[in-house]
Amino acid sequence: MPAIKLDQVSRAYGKQVYAVRDLTLEIPDGSFTTLLGPSGCGKTTTLRMIAGLDMPTKGTIRIGDKLAFSLEEGKSLAPAKRGLGLVFQSYALWPHLTVAKNISFGLEVQKVPRAEATRRIEQVATALQIDGLLGRYTSELSGGQQQRVAIARVLVMQPSVLLLDEPLSNLDATLRMDMRAELKRLHQETGATIIYVTHDQLEALTMSTHIALMQSGRLQQFAPPLEVYAHPANQFAADFLGNPRINLLEGSVERGHFKCAGLDLALPDTVSPADTPTATLGLRAEELRLHGASGPGLAEARVTTLLPTGSDWYYNVELAGKSLIVRQNDGPQLRLGETVHVEARPESIKLFAGDGRALLAAPTVPMGS
Amino acid sequence: MSSVATAPSPLSRLLSFWPIVTLVALATSTFLLLLPVYNIVGLSFSGQEGGAGIFENYIMFFSEPYYYRSLINSFIVSISAMVLALLIGVPAAYIVSRYDIVGRSLIKTAVVLTFVSPPFIGSYSWVVLLGRKGVLSQMFADVGISLPSIYGAPGIIFVFTLQFFPFVFLLVSSGLKSIDQSVEDAARNLGSGEGRTFFTVIAPLLLPSITTGALLVFIASFTDLGTPIILGERFRVLPVLIYGEFVNDFGGRPVLASTLAVLLLIVTTGALLLQRRLAARFSYATSAIRPLTLQSPGPLKRFLASVFIYGLVLLALLPMINIVISAFLKSNGPVLVAKFTLANFDKVWRMADGPLLNTVMFTTIATAMCAIMGTMIAYIIARRSGRISALLDTVVMFSYAVPGIVLGVGLVVTYHNPPLALTGTPLILILAYFIRRLPFSVRSSVSSLQQLSRDTEEASINLGAGPGRTFLKITVPLLSMAILSGALLTWSNTIRELSATLVLQSGSTTTISVEIFNEVANGNFGTASALGMTLIVLTFLPLLLLFTFLGKNEEALV
Ligand SMILES: Nc1ncnc2c1ncn2[C@@H]1O[C@H](COP(=O)(O)OP(=O)(O)OP(=O)(O)O)[C@@H](O)[C@H]1O
Ligand SMILES: [Mg+2]
Repeated sequence: MPAIKLDQVSRAYGKQVYAVRDLTLEIPDGSFTTLLGPSGCGKTTTLRMIAGLDMPTKGTIRIGDKLAFSLEEGKSLAPAKRGLGLVFQSYALWPHLTVAKNISFGLEVQKVPRAEATRRIEQVATALQIDGLLGRYTSELSGGQQQRVAIARVLVMQPSVLLLDEPLSNLDATLRMDMRAELKRLHQETGATIIYVTHDQLEALTMSTHIALMQSGRLQQFAPPLEVYAHPANQFAADFLGNPRINLLEGSVERGHFKCAGLDLALPDTVSPADTPTATLGLRAEELRLHGASGPGLAEARVTTLLPTGSDWYYNVELAGKSLIVRQNDGPQLRLGETVHVEARPESIKLFAGDGRALLAAPTVPMGS
Repeated sequence: MSSVATAPSPLSRLLSFWPIVTLVALATSTFLLLLPVYNIVGLSFSGQEGGAGIFENYIMFFSEPYYYRSLINSFIVSISAMVLALLIGVPAAYIVSRYDIVGRSLIKTAVVLTFVSPPFIGSYSWVVLLGRKGVLSQMFADVGISLPSIYGAPGIIFVFTLQFFPFVFLLVSSGLKSIDQSVEDAARNLGSGEGRTFFTVIAPLLLPSITTGALLVFIASFTDLGTPIILGERFRVLPVLIYGEFVNDFGGRPVLASTLAVLLLIVTTGALLLQRRLAARFSYATSAIRPLTLQSPGPLKRFLASVFIYGLVLLALLPMINIVISAFLKSNGPVLVAKFTLANFDKVWRMADGPLLNTVMFTTIATAMCAIMGTMIAYIIARRSGRISALLDTVVMFSYAVPGIVLGVGLVVTYHNPPLALTGTPLILILAYFIRRLPFSVRSSVSSLQQLSRDTEEASINLGAGPGRTFLKITVPLLSMAILSGALLTWSNTIRELSATLVLQSGSTTTISVEIFNEVANGNFGTASALGMTLIVLTFLPLLLLFTFLGKNEEALV
């Protein structure tokens, strides 16, 4: 199974507008790699360039040992020869054909013998639980069924790489949960490399083996999900992953302490960043603890909102004029307006320079800015 | 959406499916459209006997009253018809769209019917009704009223107005559909009356439809040949002069006809460019969430509106009613006698394997060619954006601007002599119809393609199908409705073509419309009516199919 390598790939529209810029990425063989980022960051463009439906304006793409695209060598492998199966965000099913005909289209193109084709269609249809729908037209299917047909149409070709462009975005919440599990199972069963596009950070965190986080056409970080979560390469990465969003406080670093109005926090002594007048502190909701009594290193705050979810409590607390969100799954029941004391665990603190770069060293090499 | 990035290997890309189709399309339009136009422009600048150099013909045109009067006359009738069509068409559309008067959809159908009836036979029908010995003229003369003459400029303007006001009517009707009720409510809420609301709020939003409609009336009137030949007498307009000069010159080099044709072409192209600019300038992006509602006007308003709209429809349908009746009347030369007969249809039968067969055959072949080529060109325009595709788009639109008589003369000039002596063959007529009606198919498929996601085709490419296979197996089936409706429109518009046919036909390739023209010229109104009725049925049937089974509405016509 091939690894996919992108080297300095750009896709420009005109001279100024870049959909993707200088993207260098090595997607490991057999991985479930997610392209994650906000709308318009270049995810679909990247996927289309890999599939050969769009051409980079710069760079090289390799699929396994095949050179798929190189501007310098004037080479672009036809989409059909890349052995990649693409599932479109819109599904792109053909309404004039039945489900069976939709699925068999690619097999007919490749002139796969009838018997063999029938066997493969049945196999895929059973695996995706659409075997009862083969005679229907695609307009007679639910969203979830359409999505399965779209995947079946590609899977039946037994591609070594599966490209999925936001396949779950049109589904309702419950169905989305089911399909997530199903896609993960699919990955384990087929062993194919999957490149999965989403703007949903939770989907990326739960499903992938690797996350490629993009913003404005540039790669921000490429690492396994928990690493991106725990050691974001920059402020954008910290802010984009995690629900609720990470608490960010602006201040300065002075002699190993982060300081802002009403807060003076000793930074872990494992790293002592240089003094800087502008820095941003990142504190995740679940990494903060609230105490009734005051103590050393605790900052005083006031509870402004209570949000119970059943399993956890979310509190909005006001700390020196800034609102922080805190998640607790045990501890004291707090009341509105009560004064509390906030503890930030030193090992979980994230600190970013004025330009957004992570200051507390993460094990990964930050890429881009 | 995404434009194609720089292609790495030029040669292999050039030899694939779409580049080849693009090349064929460009070559076809070059040989059928650009070259003929180029040739008449060339001829118009060629002096005959030394003389005043390359502008000789133009100098002659603008110094001889006989010639330049025709240009002035053309402007007089076209601008008058345009203004009158607006004065009639806008209120008519407003009334039918807004007031709950009886038979609204029948009125629309009637308007379509007048729109698609062959114009020249309508003109002759008016002669029968209002000519010197006309049925109505005599009737009114008996009670002491003398109706105005149908001949000359007033008659032409009258017939053009009735024939072409549907452009305005249909466009304004569809414009009204895209206006949201809240627009009117807001104005009415501020105390503005109906008239004031119309002029200050609704009319500005209708400007794109109104200007487009007006310019289409202008172009149609400016290029029409049949009506002014029949009604003009000594009042000559430009197309009539072109035809006359062309017939005089036949076999030689139609230098003067070419010069006149170039002038005609300049005016129509200018009008079309103006239309595009105005439509773009005035287009506000409005979409109706809740379209304008139907109103119940008060008794007086309802009475006036009904009189106006029924009167108009009756007047517009009168020539056609006359044709249908006359088709079954015994004729005594040009005079019809009030006796029922089917004899007029004998002639239609006798033409079954001649002109009638020609008409149906040429139209069918040209329509099929339009459908095939038009869909492929639409694909290139909609999906393969770039400089060449923009060029193709412009060329196709240009074929819209070239009047039939100009194209006819251009094709004769280009393909009269060996090795490509095509004049008088069926092929040249088919090719002329094809290039002239190509925009219908292209437009129909382009607008459908713009609604169709690119993903649908790319999914097929991704599964390994080539571009040709993807087009045939995926795009064409998905476009089938658009292709069919484009084809039906093409058919309806081709089957009644007169001006290019008159120039390009030879005795053996004559069509129904030419035969009607000849019968009219010989004063056989009974036969002409029977033929005319046949032609109206052939024109209207596909449209009926279009409206009833394909769910298109009347606005698809313009
Ligand atoms: N044809 C085009 N011309 C100009 N810019 C374009 C074109 N196509 C895409 N872009 C731009 O490229 C950027 C990336 O687009 P892309 O479709 O890859 O985004 P995406 O990450 O898939 O977004 P989404 O999550 O909304 O699907 C966008 O900012 C878009 O505006
Ligand atoms: Mg996208």
